Amino acid sequence: MDEAPVRIVNVHKRFGSLVVLDGVSFDIPRGQTTAIIGPSGTGKSVMLKHIVGLIRPDQGEVCVFGTDMARAPEREVYAVRRRLGMLFQDGALFDSLSTGDNIAFPLKQHHPDLTARQRRERVDEVLEMVELPGLYDRPTPALSGGQRKRVGLARAIVTRPELVLFDEPNSGLDPMTSDAIDALIGHLKETLHVTFVVITHDIVGTINVADHIAMLYQGKLVAWGPRDDVVRSEHEIVRRFLGRNLVLPEPGTAGHARLPSM
Amino acid sequence: MSALAWLGGLAYFTLHWARVAVRCRPPPGQTFAEAYKIGVQSLPVLLTISAFVGSNLALQGYNAFAPLGGQRLVGMFVALAGVRELAPLIAAAMIAAKAGTEMASQIAVMRTREQIDALEVMAVNPFWWLVTPRLYGILLVMPALTLIAVFTTLLAAYCASVFQLGLSGATFLEFVTQSTEMRDLATGEVKALVFATIICFVSCYCGFYSEKGPEGVGKATNQAVVVSCVACVTFNYLVSQVLYG
Repeated sequence: MDEAPVRIVNVHKRFGSLVVLDGVSFDIPRGQTTAIIGPSGTGKSVMLKHIVGLIRPDQGEVCVFGTDMARAPEREVYAVRRRLGMLFQDGALFDSLSTGDNIAFPLKQHHPDLTARQRRERVDEVLEMVELPGLYDRPTPALSGGQRKRVGLARAIVTRPELVLFDEPNSGLDPMTSDAIDALIGHLKETLHVTFVVITHDIVGTINVADHIAMLYQGKLVAWGPRDDVVRSEHEIVRRFLGRNLVLPEPGTAGHARLPSM
Repeated sequence: MSALAWLGGLAYFTLHWARVAVRCRPPPGQTFAEAYKIGVQSLPVLLTISAFVGSNLALQGYNAFAPLGGQRLVGMFVALAGVRELAPLIAAAMIAAKAGTEMASQIAVMRTREQIDALEVMAVNPFWWLVTPRLYGILLVMPALTLIAVFTTLLAAYCASVFQLGLSGATFLEFVTQSTEMRDLATGEVKALVFATIICFVSCYCGFYSEKGPEGVGKATNQAVVVSCVACVTFNYLVSQVLYG
């Protein structure tokens, strides 16, 4: 059962004449955190949408839990999606529902056997995990940007998924809130022991939470491997993207990367 | 060619919904919430427009027939034009303007904010979740709204004829009842169901495949009301040609 939960094999995707992904292949290891990094417009979000089956590749395949997301029947794709959770860039919360009802939404859809009380307990539990206790009844439009991310994350993990995907969890946040989100991801990684896939520009945060890093550049995979190997790569593009002055943790340790001024 | 592609997209959207709808019951509770929202919120504007259209029909009928000595025919004119044609169309236009635009803009905003993608990723079929309660809701209230539009038009025309133009109320009613058959009301109800279906699918389709951003939301809303109204008027003409032509 150590088969990679996500296998990306020779994926090509173009929109019109624009080549977005050009023969990308890598496996996302089970129970670990994989960060997909790269400059804007290199196909990171498109890669993520391939994983959840929102976009089909022109060529190649994306298998999640052994199911080809582009070619499997809709019922099988939906069965796979019940095993994953995703945090969208701005949370993608439903403004007509309260915070608690947003989080309870997937529970109501897929666990109708749960009583209202059991659902409430489960929602309260994940609200505690994302450090927003007592916000069940808060209207969604009243939430701040950081709170929306946390509520989106709570919704992503409320069904206890095996795979959690994060689309730019730090985008649009101030540095302090961004650090708090990174810390939260790190904490959930320790607590939940599930497979995380994080797409981000936030280099320092990425390096601190990731076990593996995949770097995309102009639609191609230019680096892939364990975190320490990638951050010490001599590949020119990787060096330029990560920054030559990044202070790296000791190899094989849980130390934190930092910028020289930090 | 782009119009054909658009119609093809709408047909695909409708068939995709039908395929899901036959397998799944509507989301619990939402159908009646939609019916309430569409019915109750559209009622004030529907009553107002129907009343003024009825009054105007009476006035213009009087102006047309009075010089010929046929002012007694105002009731017949109102019945033929109002009951058969205008009242169902007014109801459709109001629902397209009120509920249709709301459907299109809500769904377009959901597209922009990735909420439709979120539904997909949460393994909730968005066709089922977004279209089904709106369609069943509008189908529940549209026949009733059409009947209300018919009777409001007639009532307003009666009031204008009797209290403003000084005609006999009994004569007005006699001509209305002579000119109107149950078939006319039944046809209006069937039209209402078809109009409701057109408005719902067109509006949901425009919102579902809108471009992202505020401009996309605006375009979707605008397109929804224009296409719905044109489609309803065209269908109404075809039905009238078949039944009364």
